[in-house]
Amino acid sequence: MSLLDVTGLTKAFGGLMAVNDVSFGVEEGGIDAVIGPNGAGKTTLFNLISGALRPTSGAVRFAGHDITGLAPHAVAARGVIRTFQLVRLFGDMTVAENVRVGFHLSTRGGIWSALVRPRWARAEEAEVAEKARVLLTLIGLADRAAVPAAQLTYGQQRLLEIARAVAAGPRLLLLDEPAAGLDMAETDALAEIIRTINRRGVTILLIEHDMRLVMGIARRIVVLDFGRKIAEGTPETVSRDPAVLEAYLGTAESCEGAEVLHA
Amino acid sequence: MFLLACAVIAVIVASGGYFVTVVCFAAIYALFVSGLNLFMGYTGQVSFGQNAFAALGGYSTAVLTTRLNLDPLAALLLGALLSGAIAFVVGFPTLRLRGHYLAMATLALGLIAYEVAVQWTGLTQGYMGISGIPGLGFAGVEIDDERLQAVVLLAIAGLGMGAALRLRHSRFGRALAAVAGDEEAARAVGINITHYKLAAFVLAAVYASVAGSLMAQYVGFVSPEVFGLAMVVLGFTMLYIGGIGNVGGPLVGALIVEALPQTVSGLKDYQDLVYGAALILILIYAPKGLAAINPGLPLAVQKNAS
Amino acid sequence: MLSSALLLQFLISGIGVGCVYGLIGIGFCVIYNASGIVNFAQGGFVMLGGMITYVLHARSGLSLLPAALAAVLIVAALGLVVDRLVVRPLWNRGATTFVMILATLAVQIVMERATLILMGDSPKSLPSFTEGGPLRLGAVAVNLQLLWIVAISLLLIAALALFFNRTKTGRAMRACAVNPQAAMLLGVPVSRMLAYAFSISAGLGAVAGILITPTQFVAYNLGVPFAISGFIAAIVGGFGNPLGAFLGGILLGVAQSLAIVVVGAGYKNVVALSILLIFLLVRPAGLLGGKA
Repeated sequence: MSLLDVTGLTKAFGGLMAVNDVSFGVEEGGIDAVIGPNGAGKTTLFNLISGALRPTSGAVRFAGHDITGLAPHAVAARGVIRTFQLVRLFGDMTVAENVRVGFHLSTRGGIWSALVRPRWARAEEAEVAEKARVLLTLIGLADRAAVPAAQLTYGQQRLLEIARAVAAGPRLLLLDEPAAGLDMAETDALAEIIRTINRRGVTILLIEHDMRLVMGIARRIVVLDFGRKIAEGTPETVSRDPAVLEAYLGTAESCEGAEVLHA
Repeated sequence: MFLLACAVIAVIVASGGYFVTVVCFAAIYALFVSGLNLFMGYTGQVSFGQNAFAALGGYSTAVLTTRLNLDPLAALLLGALLSGAIAFVVGFPTLRLRGHYLAMATLALGLIAYEVAVQWTGLTQGYMGISGIPGLGFAGVEIDDERLQAVVLLAIAGLGMGAALRLRHSRFGRALAAVAGDEEAARAVGINITHYKLAAFVLAAVYASVAGSLMAQYVGFVSPEVFGLAMVVLGFTMLYIGGIGNVGGPLVGALIVEALPQTVSGLKDYQDLVYGAALILILIYAPKGLAAINPGLPLAVQKNAS
Repeated sequence: MLSSALLLQFLISGIGVGCVYGLIGIGFCVIYNASGIVNFAQGGFVMLGGMITYVLHARSGLSLLPAALAAVLIVAALGLVVDRLVVRPLWNRGATTFVMILATLAVQIVMERATLILMGDSPKSLPSFTEGGPLRLGAVAVNLQLLWIVAISLLLIAALALFFNRTKTGRAMRACAVNPQAAMLLGVPVSRMLAYAFSISAGLGAVAGILITPTQFVAYNLGVPFAISGFIAAIVGGFGNPLGAFLGGILLGVAQSLAIVVVGAGYKNVVALSILLIFLLVRPAGLLGGKA
């Protein structure tokens, strides 16, 4: 049984079919990717899975449970954590605090424990601080822990968002264009971090345009175009698929196209 | 800024005299504004209706002590409980609104409270108000010395602000700040934003209610005017002077605003006009508040309020 | 039960009041459409319309019509002042919705208190526009002032419709409402449009105040209740839709009148506020839709 099962997922905005009858599965333990030209409906797909949007029809199953139409925080509580295409950080909070917020789901403690500060609450806070520090070290931002998040470079902000997502203890991590706006060196570092996270047991599904990154780390790829799934398979099969080439380049016979996808 | 205010207060209380009254009012308002700060500064939401809960607290104390001879402390706690409950019920649908809709809805709350205070003459004696409320003091002990009153009020305000500080530096406070920072992102890590907005709203209501009860006792009299629209503007003026999101801000703001009348002597009517004009100027020229030690946080208020 | 004649009477007076609410609501819409700002000081303009007319007429001996016209002009000018001194600086500094609302609220307080200081707190009134007893239509007595209110309201609406649809300035203002950037590119002076919007709204408010004062009274603290009523009218009609605001006003006026029959005059503001809350919570887009 797949960890994530998307069946017949459809989202219509009036007459526009942003996502049209998309079905695929994500097996636990690997790194899968969703690719497609701009406007193919990839982010909408993520929004449907994460609960930010309600599907017009279709279903999403996670770890055997139907999560279709659940509110975003409920989906997160099930273990599906996402990042955003345009980085959404808590800009006025420090870098460390951003990561600590990520531990919200795995901690308890509300108003009462905040005021009274019983021992378990203090221990929990210390634990959260420590775990946050470990994650920051992983992404290389430990020395900027006390800086307001808005002051980081774009690449650093991306990594921070991923760290925050990892803090939430996901079984499935949805990364929306994590390499957007990063240069080659930053993308390589990102790939390494994604692999490390995956090795810790987190299944990853990412949306990406950067073909080098995708071909390098993805195990399986789903290709969308105009809201429909047009191909699915390993990086090798997908990069040779004529439908995919046509979607990206407009013609099935372009050899340069194949090279681009292989590069 | 905050330490300076504390020093000034200490001097005033020690020496006694007219300024002690100013300090007392400042303490009460500091409590009110702290609650507002919690809701607006921490969570980035808007409420123009906090005076409704102050009215609830004030009138609860007034009615319960004069009609039922309840101990003032019990009346205060009951008022706070009532305010919290009503805030919960009202907040649930209201907090889904945004921008000027939220502003209007909360404003309507405050106005409804005013109207009820005026119309329900059987309970509230309408415009005449209720007088004869026992002075500051609990469990049969009445505090007569003005300076002692100031100390008690300051202690309570201090407790309130200390609580707000503790709340901020906790999982709860982080969740609130996350809601203020970016609601989508907060949801994505599992934070139920409705739950936290509501919690902050209820807390702010409780703060306002306690402040209202204390006001009733200190002044000995309540009327609809006391908790009217002017209180809203006054509260915001104090909030802005002290700096939004800044824990010590409310006391600084309250002190400055309450002390001003001494420099602009005259009737209360002139005061409100001056405060209104002052607020406009502050909004234009110092939108993050005058004493903002943490200038970053108000951005969150702006992002979510638009 | 109530006689149908009495009920009809309440209905008619409700329509009269409703027209006034509608005018105030249109004032809200005009500014909102031009800028996205909800002008919480609108009620102050209404109050000042009545108050200034009183000063000119009763205190300075001007006859009613010139006093009224002068008052409208003065208040319209005041609208410009508010735009220049408060709204424009905030707008230029990129202030948020909340700050704008708070600022207009502060303006309201300033206007209110200044009036209190200058005029005291006793209510003032104006004579009805035409002397004479109520018009009798069968068993129903219709106050002449109500007829004036309806007539002038309709006239104003027609004039506004003409202005916004036929004149260059009016069309430019509508363009700004739809797409300020595009309007700017086409050479429309957006900030001037905002100034016009404020003076038109203020003028409308003043007229509303002058129309209603003979039937009740005017006092320094009537600004906020007027503003609430106008805002409710605008919300009910679908914020941004002037015609809707007018209809919303009439609906509100009638609802209030009927409520007076049922729960008594004192609670009419509570009724109005409750309607506001209900609409905000259930159907913020109003009856006629529009920007929600």
